[in-house]
Amino acid sequence: MTEYLIRRFLQSVLVLFLISLVAFGLIHAAPGGPTQMMMAPGISPETAKIQAHNMGLDKPLPAQYGIWLTNMLKGDLGHTFKNNKPVGDVLWPTVGNTIKLMSFAWVISLLIAIPWGIYNSTREYGLSDQTASFVSYVGFAMPAFWFGIILQVFFSLKLDWLPLSDMYDMDKQGNFLNLLFHLILPCSVLVLGMLAAYTKYARSSMLEVLEQDYIRTARAKGVPERKVIFRHALRNALIPVITIIGMDLPILVGGATLTESVFNWPGMGRLFVDMARQREYSVLMAITLITAVVVVAGNLIADILYKIVDPRVKLGGKGGRSA
Amino acid sequence: MANKKKWFSLLVSLSVVSALFAGCGTDEKTATPNDEGKTEVTTPAEGDKNTDAPKDGGTLTYGSFTDIVSVNPLFVQDTGSGDAEQFIYAKLFDIDRTGKVAVEPWSLAAEPMTISENGLEYTVKLKDGIKWSDGQPITADDVVFTFDTIRNPKAASPGITGFDKVTKIEKVDDKTVKITLKEIYAPFQYIIASEIVPQHILKDVKLEELQKNVYGTDPAKTVTSGPWKWTEWKQNQYLTFEADPNYWGQKPHIQKIVYKIYADQNTEVQALIKGDVDLLGGIPVTQVDAVKGKKDLTVISKPGPQYEYVGFNFKPENFKDKFVPWTGQKTRQAVAYALNRQGMVDNVLKGVGTLMNAPFLPGSWADPGDAAVNYSFDPEKAKALLAEDGWKAGKDGILTKDGHRFSFELQYNAGNSRREQVAVVIQQNLKDVGIEVTPKAIDFAAWVDQNLTPGKYESILMGWSLNNPDPDGESTFGSKFFPPNGQNQGFYKNEKLDALWQKGTSVVDQTKRAEVYKEIGKEISTDLPYVFMYQYGTPIAMSNKLKFAEADAPESSLAYGYLFHVINWSIDEK
Repeated sequence: MTEYLIRRFLQSVLVLFLISLVAFGLIHAAPGGPTQMMMAPGISPETAKIQAHNMGLDKPLPAQYGIWLTNMLKGDLGHTFKNNKPVGDVLWPTVGNTIKLMSFAWVISLLIAIPWGIYNSTREYGLSDQTASFVSYVGFAMPAFWFGIILQVFFSLKLDWLPLSDMYDMDKQGNFLNLLFHLILPCSVLVLGMLAAYTKYARSSMLEVLEQDYIRTARAKGVPERKVIFRHALRNALIPVITIIGMDLPILVGGATLTESVFNWPGMGRLFVDMARQREYSVLMAITLITAVVVVAGNLIADILYKIVDPRVKLGGKGGRSA
Repeated sequence: MANKKKWFSLLVSLSVVSALFAGCGTDEKTATPNDEGKTEVTTPAEGDKNTDAPKDGGTLTYGSFTDIVSVNPLFVQDTGSGDAEQFIYAKLFDIDRTGKVAVEPWSLAAEPMTISENGLEYTVKLKDGIKWSDGQPITADDVVFTFDTIRNPKAASPGITGFDKVTKIEKVDDKTVKITLKEIYAPFQYIIASEIVPQHILKDVKLEELQKNVYGTDPAKTVTSGPWKWTEWKQNQYLTFEADPNYWGQKPHIQKIVYKIYADQNTEVQALIKGDVDLLGGIPVTQVDAVKGKKDLTVISKPGPQYEYVGFNFKPENFKDKFVPWTGQKTRQAVAYALNRQGMVDNVLKGVGTLMNAPFLPGSWADPGDAAVNYSFDPEKAKALLAEDGWKAGKDGILTKDGHRFSFELQYNAGNSRREQVAVVIQQNLKDVGIEVTPKAIDFAAWVDQNLTPGKYESILMGWSLNNPDPDGESTFGSKFFPPNGQNQGFYKNEKLDALWQKGTSVVDQTKRAEVYKEIGKEISTDLPYVFMYQYGTPIAMSNKLKFAEADAPESSLAYGYLFHVINWSIDEK
């Protein structure tokens, strides 16, 4: 297990390094740059050049990457070009805001989706199952921004029950109840989207398990159905679901750009789009890297969870696994 | 499986990066050549909203869809920061509704600038008792420091171009500054109608470090001169400004300004309808009806200080076979006659536009009016002119001359729905007279970088912002300003116009200047480096709880005109 963890860790570091290299190249390959994107009408090329120099943008790309990497290893994410704000000051608040929004929606959708999916697997094609199918289709098919606007128009503009957008009312910054109030609409949009996938996964995974021989054996032995479901089937059925959840972890940080935009949620998805427009390379790199770290970590965690949930998985073998 | 997952990780990360390429097309607020400015009024802004004495107090929530970069006046280049500046900085001089330099009670200058007989010496006298938000007096030293910093290349201030004709800036006494030019340059009066920065705060900062300094990004360290002071900045969320109890002039009626940042224009309009926002500098013309339908909202839909044009390129290297189809003046005029400009204003701009025939804002003091040639929509005349210029119909119906088909590419920026629609109309209009147009949408950043700045294109559909009310356009049309030296990106050369532009800035008297611009209007509308299309803009929308006298109503034709005289506005919550 330890050897496996070390190996996976080293692999992850290599992957992160490669991602940073490719991302750096791609970001700089995009046309335009911070100086050009901020140019006012009539600014002279010489002035633009001096600005670029003052920002360190006139150095060759490999040198810029070297500087970035060195600073990064020292824990310094750099500064924005335009107004010299530490990237952390810009980034961390939005990460926090995104996590508030996404984790709330995520936990709610898991709490609904997994029990619901399992229940539906035991009563295939019943009313509840049909309803779940319908909700899934709607959730998959409906664009998040469109559903978001519909909710806004109805619950905020027409009925005036809920706030239209933002995290807090202007005069209630930091108030937890006010935050919950503002979470309702964006979370509804996100939950619908997540519910669609998770309910289906939980249901089909459970159905598959229920057809296994050992379940049949258990039933034949006369084990009560409740016990069959919870003791024998559930743990095995959860394994694929955990994989999906692990892979979805990054969305908790990456955010949902469209939902954040519609509800004016000051999260990382919106920040990324803004910063991309302004070619704030250091912020973009930081966001990319954080996302990458979470993706890699999410995969690692999913693998470790296998070990805990699934007795068939033996980690550490040279030959790899067949999970 | 393990391998696949790694690839998956990589893909996820990269897809985040690739959003880069998708995200940049539509926002042109911060970019060089103008794209989306702010505009304004159809429903009359009622002056008599203000029957009672203005109430003091209340909060004005101003909506913006971009955050600020820095409010340091030395470096403000984007509309977001410029908007914020309007609340917290006093200017040396202000601009009146007609675009003339004016001394207002809230200007730093005490009286109009005096210009010497020879037109070279500008003297500015400051008011008594003016001070910074930290209590220090505002003096001639601050003015000298500000202008000397701007004109020093090391500081890399974008304002430097305006100061290239200055030889010296002197302090005469604590209240008086004298600026000497090496040649007469009439637009200079607009250049010094600007904000001033505090010398006592910035004098020890190295010039190269100025742009990085916290002055302008940290509310606590940004000493200001205007009616409100900056109290908070929550990035990507909001800024707040509070009436400054130490403000030197007459206090504003509105106590607090919340500068609320929204993700995009649609979100911001929703917030206005909901009542979360009181004022928007620009709403999309497509949203006007939705906003007008609300009885507690007012829309001012007049076009703003910007115009659109079809720009011809005259550099043979940009064309197949090095053949420039519009070298003949008659051909360019034919293109102008062939375009249904009024139809575009009516249908695409929903009426929020005014036809233009020269690069001067309609109604401004330099507007040449009827002296400029107006090309009414006349396809028959266009065909006749093309025939006179030697074009003959080819087999496929497209005109040809000397073996070259009249076919060209029209570039514009992707994601700009107005230009998308107008480009299609142009394509159809010109097809009707035998010219083939291929509209091509390009991502804005790439377009500026690879086509506009180096002047590499056949033709463009583009706009200019006339944020500076001075009519001088030499750097756009003068032959000294071919790329990379300036913004004459179409490589247009007309010696008569070159001389006229020079003449226009070498007399100070505005009446005499207006005559020169009349001549320019006539020549440029005859020769057509561009087909000038229309003045356009986005309407101003506001809540009816904003009250102001007619003299203080928002002015669409000015830069930042949606905040015109905001110091005199008040809020009546009812």
